[in-house]
Amino acid sequence: MIYKSVLFVLMTVVIIAGFALPIVPQPSVWYEIPDIPGLEEKAKIIFFHVPTAWLSVIAFLMAMVYGVKYLRKQNMDDDAKSNAALQLGMIFTILATVTGSIWAKFTWGAFWHWDPRETSIFILLLIYGSLFALRSAIENEDKRAKLSAVYSIIAFLTVPFFIFIMPRIMTGLHPGSANDDNLGPVVDFKMNGTMQIIFYLSLTAFTMFYFWMWKLGYKSIIIKDKIFKKLI
Amino acid sequence: MEGLFNFLENNSLYIVLFIVLTIWVGVFSYLNILDKRLKAIELEVKETGNEE
Repeated sequence: MIYKSVLFVLMTVVIIAGFALPIVPQPSVWYEIPDIPGLEEKAKIIFFHVPTAWLSVIAFLMAMVYGVKYLRKQNMDDDAKSNAALQLGMIFTILATVTGSIWAKFTWGAFWHWDPRETSIFILLLIYGSLFALRSAIENEDKRAKLSAVYSIIAFLTVPFFIFIMPRIMTGLHPGSANDDNLGPVVDFKMNGTMQIIFYLSLTAFTMFYFWMWKLGYKSIIIKDKIFKKLI
Repeated sequence: MEGLFNFLENNSLYIVLFIVLTIWVGVFSYLNILDKRLKAIELEVKETGNEE
Protein backbone atom coordinates (compact mmCIF):
# COMPACT_ATOMS: atom_id res chain seq x y z
CA MET A 1 0.00 0.00 0.00
CA ILE A 2 2.78 2.40 0.93
CA TYR A 3 4.71 1.27 -2.13
CA LYS A 4 1.82 2.12 -4.44
CA SER A 5 1.13 5.47 -2.79
CA VAL A 6 4.80 6.46 -3.09
CA LEU A 7 4.82 5.33 -6.72
CA PHE A 8 1.65 7.29 -7.49
CA VAL A 9 2.93 10.49 -5.91
CA LEU A 10 6.42 10.16 -7.45
CA MET A 11 5.13 9.54 -10.96
CA THR A 12 2.60 12.39 -10.66
CA VAL A 13 5.36 14.76 -9.54
CA VAL A 14 7.61 13.63 -12.38
CA ILE A 15 4.86 14.11 -14.98
CA ILE A 16 3.93 17.57 -13.69
CA ALA A 17 7.56 18.70 -13.36
CA GLY A 18 8.59 17.08 -16.63
CA PHE A 19 5.93 18.93 -18.54
CA ALA A 20 5.44 22.18 -16.69
CA LEU A 21 8.86 23.46 -15.63
CA PRO A 22 9.66 26.56 -17.69
CA ILE A 23 12.70 26.55 -19.96
CA VAL A 24 14.65 29.82 -19.87
CA PRO A 25 18.04 30.84 -21.33
CA GLN A 26 19.54 31.70 -17.93
CA PRO A 27 17.87 29.89 -15.02
CA SER A 28 17.77 32.06 -11.91
CA VAL A 29 15.03 30.43 -9.83
CA TRP A 30 15.17 26.79 -8.65
CA TYR A 31 12.27 25.60 -10.81
CA GLU A 32 13.67 26.88 -14.10
CA ILE A 33 15.61 24.61 -16.43
CA PRO A 34 18.22 25.80 -18.97
CA ASP A 35 17.37 26.22 -22.63
CA ILE A 36 19.42 24.11 -25.05
CA PRO A 37 19.62 25.76 -28.48
CA GLY A 38 18.05 23.50 -31.09
CA LEU A 39 16.14 21.45 -28.53
CA GLU A 40 13.99 23.92 -26.53
CA GLU A 41 10.87 22.13 -25.18
CA LYS A 42 11.97 18.91 -26.85
CA ALA A 43 14.74 18.56 -24.24
CA LYS A 44 12.05 17.33 -21.82
CA ILE A 45 12.07 13.95 -23.59
CA ILE A 46 14.92 12.99 -21.24
CA PHE A 47 12.44 12.61 -18.35
CA PHE A 48 10.41 9.97 -20.18
CA HIS A 49 12.49 8.38 -22.93
CA VAL A 50 15.64 7.54 -20.96
CA PRO A 51 13.72 5.73 -18.14
CA THR A 52 12.06 3.42 -20.68
CA ALA A 53 15.49 2.36 -21.97
CA TRP A 54 16.68 2.02 -18.37
CA LEU A 55 13.74 -0.27 -17.58
CA SER A 56 14.62 -2.55 -20.46
CA VAL A 57 18.10 -3.02 -18.92
CA ILE A 58 16.58 -3.78 -15.49
CA ALA A 59 14.07 -6.19 -17.01
CA PHE A 60 16.72 -8.09 -18.95
CA LEU A 61 18.92 -8.18 -15.85
CA MET A 62 16.03 -9.65 -13.85
CA ALA A 63 15.42 -12.18 -16.62
CA MET A 64 19.05 -13.26 -16.32
CA VAL A 65 19.02 -13.39 -12.50
CA TYR A 66 15.93 -15.59 -12.46
CA GLY A 67 17.32 -17.63 -15.34
CA VAL A 68 20.33 -18.45 -13.13
CA LYS A 69 17.99 -19.19 -10.21
CA TYR A 70 15.97 -21.57 -12.36
CA LEU A 71 19.09 -23.44 -13.48
CA ARG A 72 20.16 -23.89 -9.86
CA LYS A 73 16.85 -24.99 -8.32
CA GLN A 74 14.72 -26.06 -11.31
CA ASN A 75 11.74 -24.21 -9.86
CA MET A 76 9.13 -23.30 -12.49
CA ASP A 77 8.20 -20.15 -10.56
CA ASP A 78 11.62 -18.75 -11.39
CA ASP A 79 10.99 -19.45 -15.06
CA ALA A 80 7.69 -17.55 -14.79
CA LYS A 81 9.54 -14.58 -13.27
CA SER A 82 12.19 -14.70 -15.97
CA ASN A 83 9.52 -14.91 -18.66
CA ALA A 84 7.50 -11.98 -17.27
CA ALA A 85 10.69 -9.89 -17.07
CA LEU A 86 11.52 -10.72 -20.68
CA GLN A 87 8.06 -9.62 -21.84
CA LEU A 88 8.31 -6.31 -20.01
CA GLY A 89 11.87 -5.80 -21.23
CA MET A 90 10.75 -6.28 -24.81
CA ILE A 91 7.84 -3.85 -24.36
CA PHE A 92 10.09 -1.17 -22.92
CA THR A 93 12.78 -1.68 -25.56
CA ILE A 94 10.13 -1.12 -28.23
CA LEU A 95 8.79 1.93 -26.34
CA ALA A 96 12.29 3.44 -26.12
CA THR A 97 12.79 2.86 -29.85
CA VAL A 98 9.43 4.36 -30.84
CA THR A 99 9.60 7.41 -28.54
CA GLY A 100 13.16 8.11 -29.65
CA SER A 101 12.21 7.71 -33.28
CA ILE A 102 9.31 10.17 -33.08
CA TRP A 103 11.56 12.68 -31.33
CA ALA A 104 14.40 12.18 -33.83
CA LYS A 105 12.10 13.09 -36.74
CA PHE A 106 11.61 16.58 -35.32
CA THR A 107 15.12 17.11 -33.93
CA TRP A 108 17.54 15.28 -36.21
CA GLY A 109 15.34 15.32 -39.33
CA ALA A 110 14.49 11.66 -39.91
CA PHE A 111 12.86 8.82 -38.00
CA TRP A 112 15.95 6.62 -38.19
CA HIS A 113 19.66 7.49 -38.46
CA TRP A 114 21.59 4.30 -37.61
CA ASP A 115 23.17 6.28 -34.79
CA PRO A 116 25.22 3.86 -32.56
CA ARG A 117 22.52 3.82 -29.90
CA GLU A 118 19.76 3.24 -32.45
CA THR A 119 21.78 0.43 -34.02
CA SER A 120 22.50 -1.19 -30.68
CA ILE A 121 18.86 -1.15 -29.55
CA PHE A 122 17.88 -2.61 -32.91
CA ILE A 123 20.33 -5.48 -32.38
CA LEU A 124 18.96 -5.97 -28.85
CA LEU A 125 15.44 -6.18 -30.29
CA LEU A 126 16.66 -8.90 -32.65
CA ILE A 127 18.49 -10.81 -29.90
CA TYR A 128 15.57 -10.80 -27.48
CA GLY A 129 12.99 -11.22 -30.25
CA SER A 130 14.58 -14.55 -31.15
CA LEU A 131 14.22 -15.62 -27.51
CA PHE A 132 10.44 -15.45 -27.87
CA ALA A 133 10.65 -17.50 -31.04
CA LEU A 134 12.73 -20.04 -29.10
CA ARG A 135 10.24 -20.17 -26.23
CA SER A 136 7.24 -20.66 -28.45
CA ALA A 137 8.98 -23.36 -30.48
CA ILE A 138 9.46 -25.82 -27.58
CA GLU A 139 6.49 -27.67 -26.11
CA ASN A 140 8.24 -29.44 -23.25
CA GLU A 141 8.01 -27.18 -20.19
CA ASP A 142 11.32 -28.06 -18.53
CA LYS A 143 13.26 -28.00 -21.75
CA ARG A 144 11.77 -24.61 -22.66
CA ALA A 145 12.61 -23.18 -19.23
CA LYS A 146 16.15 -24.52 -19.34
CA LEU A 147 16.94 -23.28 -22.85
CA SER A 148 15.33 -19.92 -22.22
CA ALA A 149 17.32 -19.49 -18.99
CA VAL A 150 20.59 -20.25 -20.76
CA TYR A 151 19.70 -17.95 -23.66
CA SER A 152 18.70 -15.09 -21.33
CA ILE A 153 22.06 -15.38 -19.55
CA ILE A 154 24.06 -15.32 -22.79
CA ALA A 155 21.88 -12.55 -24.23
CA PHE A 156 22.36 -10.34 -21.19
CA LEU A 157 26.14 -10.47 -21.66
CA THR A 158 25.63 -8.27 -24.73
CA VAL A 159 23.43 -5.70 -22.95
CA PRO A 160 26.15 -3.75 -21.05
CA PHE A 161 28.19 -3.58 -24.25
CA PHE A 162 25.31 -2.37 -26.43
CA ILE A 163 23.75 0.04 -23.94
CA PHE A 164 26.66 1.39 -21.93
CA ILE A 165 29.90 0.89 -23.89
CA MET A 166 29.41 0.89 -27.65
CA PRO A 167 27.37 4.15 -27.88
CA ARG A 168 29.96 5.92 -25.74
CA ILE A 169 33.08 4.96 -27.69
CA MET A 170 31.57 5.70 -31.09
CA THR A 171 30.63 9.06 -32.58
CA GLY A 172 26.90 9.63 -32.76
CA LEU A 173 23.91 11.92 -32.23
CA HIS A 174 22.90 10.87 -28.72
CA PRO A 175 24.23 12.80 -25.72
CA GLY A 176 27.24 11.01 -24.29
CA SER A 177 28.70 9.91 -27.62
CA ALA A 178 32.45 10.10 -28.14
CA ASN A 179 32.17 13.37 -30.03
CA ASP A 180 29.76 14.90 -27.52
CA ASP A 181 31.71 18.10 -26.91
CA ASN A 182 32.52 19.14 -30.45
CA LEU A 183 29.42 18.41 -32.48
CA GLY A 184 27.33 21.37 -31.39
CA PRO A 185 24.58 22.29 -28.97
CA VAL A 186 22.22 19.42 -29.79
CA VAL A 187 24.56 16.78 -28.45
CA ASP A 188 26.14 18.87 -25.73
CA PHE A 189 23.44 18.09 -23.20
CA LYS A 190 24.11 19.58 -19.80
CA MET A 191 21.53 19.31 -17.02
CA ASN A 192 21.29 21.73 -14.12
CA GLY A 193 20.48 20.61 -10.57
CA THR A 194 16.71 20.76 -10.92
CA MET A 195 16.77 18.72 -14.12
CA GLN A 196 19.03 16.12 -12.52
CA ILE A 197 16.73 15.73 -9.51
CA ILE A 198 13.66 15.26 -11.72
CA PHE A 199 15.61 12.89 -13.96
CA TYR A 200 16.62 10.65 -11.04
CA LEU A 201 13.11 10.87 -9.55
CA SER A 202 11.82 9.76 -12.92
CA LEU A 203 14.23 6.81 -13.01
CA THR A 204 13.09 5.84 -9.49
CA ALA A 205 9.39 6.16 -10.33
CA PHE A 206 9.73 4.12 -13.52
CA THR A 207 11.76 1.46 -11.71
CA MET A 208 9.07 1.15 -9.02
CA PHE A 209 6.43 1.01 -11.75
CA TYR A 210 8.39 -1.80 -13.43
CA PHE A 211 8.60 -3.93 -10.29
CA TRP A 212 4.86 -3.61 -9.76
CA MET A 213 4.02 -4.60 -13.32
CA TRP A 214 6.54 -7.44 -13.16
CA LYS A 215 4.91 -8.80 -10.00
CA LEU A 216 1.49 -8.74 -11.66
CA GLY A 217 2.98 -10.44 -14.72
CA TYR A 218 4.70 -13.35 -12.99
CA LYS A 219 1.92 -13.87 -10.45
CA SER A 220 -0.59 -14.38 -13.23
CA ILE A 221 1.74 -16.86 -14.99
CA ILE A 222 2.33 -18.80 -11.74
CA ILE A 223 -1.42 -18.95 -10.97
CA LYS A 224 -2.16 -20.08 -14.53
CA ASP A 225 0.39 -22.90 -14.16
CA LYS A 226 -1.08 -23.95 -10.80
CA ILE A 227 -4.65 -24.10 -12.12
CA PHE A 228 -3.48 -25.91 -15.23
CA LYS A 229 -1.74 -28.55 -13.14
CA LYS A 230 -4.89 -29.08 -11.07
CA LEU A 231 -7.01 -29.64 -14.15
CA ILE A 232 -4.88 -32.46 -15.53
CA MET B 1 -12.55 30.00 -13.82
CA GLU B 2 -12.41 32.47 -16.71
CA GLY B 3 -8.78 33.19 -15.86
CA LEU B 4 -7.88 29.49 -15.84
CA PHE B 5 -9.46 29.02 -19.26
CA ASN B 6 -7.55 31.93 -20.74
CA PHE B 7 -4.32 30.65 -19.17
CA LEU B 8 -4.82 27.17 -20.68
CA GLU B 9 -5.65 28.64 -24.08
CA ASN B 10 -2.41 30.61 -24.10
CA ASN B 11 -0.27 27.78 -22.68
CA SER B 12 -1.57 24.73 -24.49
CA LEU B 13 1.22 22.50 -23.13
CA TYR B 14 -0.61 22.39 -19.82
CA ILE B 15 -3.63 20.84 -21.53
CA VAL B 16 -1.38 17.97 -22.63
CA LEU B 17 -0.08 17.79 -19.06
CA PHE B 18 -3.62 17.26 -17.77
CA ILE B 19 -4.27 14.64 -20.45
CA VAL B 20 -1.13 12.69 -19.50
CA LEU B 21 -2.01 12.97 -15.81
CA THR B 22 -5.50 11.63 -16.49
CA ILE B 23 -4.01 8.70 -18.42
CA TRP B 24 -1.60 7.99 -15.54
CA VAL B 25 -4.48 7.98 -13.03
CA GLY B 26 -6.38 5.61 -15.33
CA VAL B 27 -3.44 3.21 -15.80
CA PHE B 28 -2.67 3.29 -12.08
CA SER B 29 -6.26 2.50 -11.05
CA TYR B 30 -6.48 -0.29 -13.61
CA LEU B 31 -3.25 -1.90 -12.37
CA ASN B 32 -4.49 -1.49 -8.80
CA ILE B 33 -7.74 -3.32 -9.57
CA LEU B 34 -5.80 -6.02 -11.43
CA ASP B 35 -3.50 -6.42 -8.43
CA LYS B 36 -6.45 -6.87 -6.05
CA ARG B 37 -8.13 -9.36 -8.39
CA LEU B 38 -4.92 -11.42 -8.70
CA LYS B 39 -4.51 -11.50 -4.93
CA ALA B 40 -8.08 -12.79 -4.54
CA ILE B 41 -7.50 -15.51 -7.15
CA GLU B 42 -4.22 -16.45 -5.49
CA LEU B 43 -6.00 -16.87 -2.16
CA GLU B 44 -8.74 -18.94 -3.75
CA VAL B 45 -6.25 -21.27 -5.44
CA LYS B 46 -4.44 -21.68 -2.14
CA GLU B 47 -7.68 -22.48 -0.26
CA THR B 48 -8.92 -25.05 -2.77
CA GLY B 49 -5.45 -26.60 -2.68
CA ASN B 50 -5.72 -27.07 1.09
CA GLU B 51 -9.14 -28.66 0.92
CA GLU B 52 -8.02 -31.52 -1.30
